[in-house]
Amino acid sequence: MSVAPTSDLSIAPHVRRRKSSSDSFRGGSPLIYGIALVVVAVTLGPVIYGVLGGFRTNAQLAATPAGLPSPWVLDNYLGVLANPAFWQYTWNSVAVAMITTAAVVVFGTMAAYPLARYEFKGREALYMVFVLGLLFPAAVAIVPLFILITQNFGLGNTWLGVALPQAAFALPTTVIILRPFLMAIPKELEEAALLDGASRIGFFWRILLPLSGPGMVTVGVLAFVGSWNAYLLPLLLLQGENKTLPLGVADFSSEHSSDTAGVFAFTTLAMIPALIFFLAMQKRIVNGLQGAVKG
Amino acid sequence: MTRMKRGTAAIALGATVALFAAACAGSGGPTDAGENADADTITWWHNSNTGEGKEYYDKVAADFEAETGVKVELQAMQHEDMLTKLQAALQSGNADEIPDVYMSRGGGELKNEVEAGLVRDLTDAAADEIGKISAYTEQYEVDGKVYALPYTMGVVGFWYNKDLFEQAGITDVTSNPTIEEWYGWVDKLKAAGIEPAAVGAGDKWPAAHYWYYNVIRECPNDTIEAAIESKDYSDPCFVTAGEHLVDIVNHQPFNAGFLATKAQEGPTSASGLLATGKVGMELAGHWEPGVAGGLTEDGKVPSFLSWFAYPTFDGQGGDPTTMMGGGDAWSVSTSAPDAAVDFAKYLLSDEVQVGFAELDMGLPTNPAAADSLSDAALAELLKVRNTSTSVQLYLDTRLGQSVGQPMNDEIALVFAGQKGPQDIVTAVQTAAQSE
Amino acid sequence: MADGARARRARNASPATSSRHAAGSAFALPAAPVRGGRRGAGPIRRKGPDRRKALEIAVFVTPALVLFFLFVVWPILTAIQLSMYKWKGFGPLTNFVGIDNYTAVLSNPYFIEAVGHNFIVVIMSVVIQLPLGLGIALLLNRKMWGQGLLRTIIFVPYVLAEVIAGVVWAQLLLPKYGMVDALLKSVGLTPPEQGFLGDPSIAMGTVIAVLTWKYLGLAVILFLAGLQGVPDELYEAAQLDGASWWQVQRNITIPLLGPTLRTWAFLSMIGALQLFDMVWILTGGGPANATTTMATFLISQGTKASNFGIAGAASVILFVIALVMAVFYQVFILRRDVQPDNDRKNRKKVKR
Repeated sequence: MSVAPTSDLSIAPHVRRRKSSSDSFRGGSPLIYGIALVVVAVTLGPVIYGVLGGFRTNAQLAATPAGLPSPWVLDNYLGVLANPAFWQYTWNSVAVAMITTAAVVVFGTMAAYPLARYEFKGREALYMVFVLGLLFPAAVAIVPLFILITQNFGLGNTWLGVALPQAAFALPTTVIILRPFLMAIPKELEEAALLDGASRIGFFWRILLPLSGPGMVTVGVLAFVGSWNAYLLPLLLLQGENKTLPLGVADFSSEHSSDTAGVFAFTTLAMIPALIFFLAMQKRIVNGLQGAVKG
Repeated sequence: MTRMKRGTAAIALGATVALFAAACAGSGGPTDAGENADADTITWWHNSNTGEGKEYYDKVAADFEAETGVKVELQAMQHEDMLTKLQAALQSGNADEIPDVYMSRGGGELKNEVEAGLVRDLTDAAADEIGKISAYTEQYEVDGKVYALPYTMGVVGFWYNKDLFEQAGITDVTSNPTIEEWYGWVDKLKAAGIEPAAVGAGDKWPAAHYWYYNVIRECPNDTIEAAIESKDYSDPCFVTAGEHLVDIVNHQPFNAGFLATKAQEGPTSASGLLATGKVGMELAGHWEPGVAGGLTEDGKVPSFLSWFAYPTFDGQGGDPTTMMGGGDAWSVSTSAPDAAVDFAKYLLSDEVQVGFAELDMGLPTNPAAADSLSDAALAELLKVRNTSTSVQLYLDTRLGQSVGQPMNDEIALVFAGQKGPQDIVTAVQTAAQSE
Repeated sequence: MADGARARRARNASPATSSRHAAGSAFALPAAPVRGGRRGAGPIRRKGPDRRKALEIAVFVTPALVLFFLFVVWPILTAIQLSMYKWKGFGPLTNFVGIDNYTAVLSNPYFIEAVGHNFIVVIMSVVIQLPLGLGIALLLNRKMWGQGLLRTIIFVPYVLAEVIAGVVWAQLLLPKYGMVDALLKSVGLTPPEQGFLGDPSIAMGTVIAVLTWKYLGLAVILFLAGLQGVPDELYEAAQLDGASWWQVQRNITIPLLGPTLRTWAFLSMIGALQLFDMVWILTGGGPANATTTMATFLISQGTKASNFGIAGAASVILFVIALVMAVFYQVFILRRDVQPDNDRKNRKKVKR
């Protein structure tokens, strides 16, 4: 039994056979659906409350906090959709989140690769450096960061000025999540590839990257959502045209009065792009291995 | 819609998220004014970020530019967002980031800014304006010099629901009740199944207002000033104030869940409960009609809203006409061009203050605007304010945050029944001395 | 625990995999020289590759390190510097106080109380979210109708901004008028008089419940991602041997999910130690300090009380506590994942 072919084969057939998993393991009993229903109700209940809140007036919300819209009011949602600022905020949020996600996934995967699959002196120490970044309360470092970005880099009020630090702060989580993923890829594959004359970089590109799909998508999604909801750094750095969606919430509250219904409508709509992103990505999280090997 | 400042309630998280800086990049103080001070452009940050107030300030800036040729770059920000950004800008000490004209709340906060050399002395440059508003500039002075021009000054008292009081059979509401009368009203409201008072103890400062007022009632002004000056709070009046507070709490006048209730943001806040007719009264400032107006179907201030002063105590040591309140003022940064001072003065002019009052944006300080308020409740309150002998600033602002915060924390614990009168005094004393 | 799991795995997996087990063990040996070579012990690839390897490592790690040092490490170091000064937020750092800020924090009973709250959250997060998240992930890993939609739904609270989650829960939990009270009353229960957030004795429990709601989605997607590493052939083999769905999960899937579970638990632990957002929005640490955490303590010391030095010291103490826990975790739990040889053997034992 030689190393190379066995390893290769061990993946391929299982991928092919995946489809034929026997039926008795495919969910479907009423009990399962019952449990799913409960989970969905508890999970979505508060969110639906917020969504419905967007269809009420502030007076309705105030008078009967536990009530349903009566009458239904479309003004809040229409008002948000008709507001050009909302679309500007959305565009900025998408841009910042995309840059952040790209930086996190690319740099994070690159860093996690040697940490997972090379053996060298100081590897664990290097890993710990990244872990340390996770242990310190980030809020404490926000003003030094603000000064650094505006003064030293001149990146105040730019997408990049927000995205790069966000990516940097997401790196520890990324490395921590990705490392076990990369480690779990069978050594035989690497050995086979190396015996076949591939360089380790070639192995990284052609085999490891495709195989670590679920992990990469997972950290990508986390980075995206993190950026999507980020508040403090964008607040300090972005103004006017460049503001992101979370900063737009402030448009609904002045110092003492807040348009809670408007906030509900705004945030419901603001959540949608992030959910679409997740919906598109969740198949990859779950089917990453399969998809990667096929294509 | 009012926008008079008090309150650190936040719907926005960032508003209350920490900001810390070391004095970075080797400099803490403002950078040299000369090079960044573009004489033809000034930056102005204000918190009238919605509706008519925002439009009004846009117009004010445009008018100033038309008159003087100085361009005003203004940023309208949600209040808490503005405080967050202001804190970061001031900490960075970077003249490019620090706005030329910005809002100050006075007290210990302003004192710290002055000591760091961030704020301009306006005593001589704005002598005329200061002359007109001198009744309110005291809280913006450091060592006898004025560092900010107050444009609104409000007072705290009880806003109550006339309809609910009537429903509870309370017919003897006076604008200056004694504590016994007040207790009587509380009992009647309870008997009628109405929660007597809402308090946003979750935000702490609304609860702390009760103690501040007790202090103002029990301690003569001189005693308070002397205590702050000497950092010695051993005068028994401070403990007496706490004992009154315990009595009030023990009377259980407060709304269900008051320990977690927010002050004024949204319908679940203490102000929201009053505005929607769920409680009889709330100890609050001049912002109350504005909050309430935002929660009604027609956007109007509910007609049931009325006002009486904080109760007095039998044999109290303080002047019964002293009120507690606070305001907002315009500061000019040391890195700003001279035109910024002109602009701050312009903001206090008769013309701008009258417009400010007409939109009910606050209780104006310039006497010329005294009759311009549109809202009847506010107009009434302005009269009350103008008759009071003096207005004591909210103690937490007065003492500065590093004393104010532990003080508010301790008072909130008294509301929870976990601490007593002496504990508040001890907390204040300890924090003051470790400053 | 992990040891137990591994032992169980070896034992229980045997019906399906015993025949492959032996092959797997034997199989590990021939591979060894190749790995040795990579360590630099092999006779053929030696010096050149070593230098090349170092270069490769540098190329891979440098971009991340640069980003990390610039935007994370440097600002943090600046913040640490602050912890040795008394500083009110403006002006230069002049008032050096050494370790005074540290002693002040450590002797502050409210801080000690906050540390206790953090540990409650650390423990409760794992105790509640691990079984719940694992159960839901296993459920969602089955092929069923609406699977993709369900996965997305589970993730919705995580996507919802904290601020809004806070506003929604404040409305739902409002005493007397809120939805939760209404629901409880409709089934004949008496809701707490001061509300779920207003009563110091139950506020912490309420916060933990909301935290579970908010962050369970994270656990579920991590677990789901980890589950994809479990080869289907195992299921098939086990099924052929007549194992029930539950037996397969318990004996094969969960043990193989070990590294993912341990990674999640680590992230969850650190997250719980740093807990801030949801607590700040829901309770601000109240009522009566019943829900303070180290982070809310240092934030209120910083922004609200302008004791930036104290806040800096508190953040360093938080860092040290997290570090000790992290090292402990690394040494006793995560280490298993870092030793690829062990892990690999175990994988193979089951796989083949």
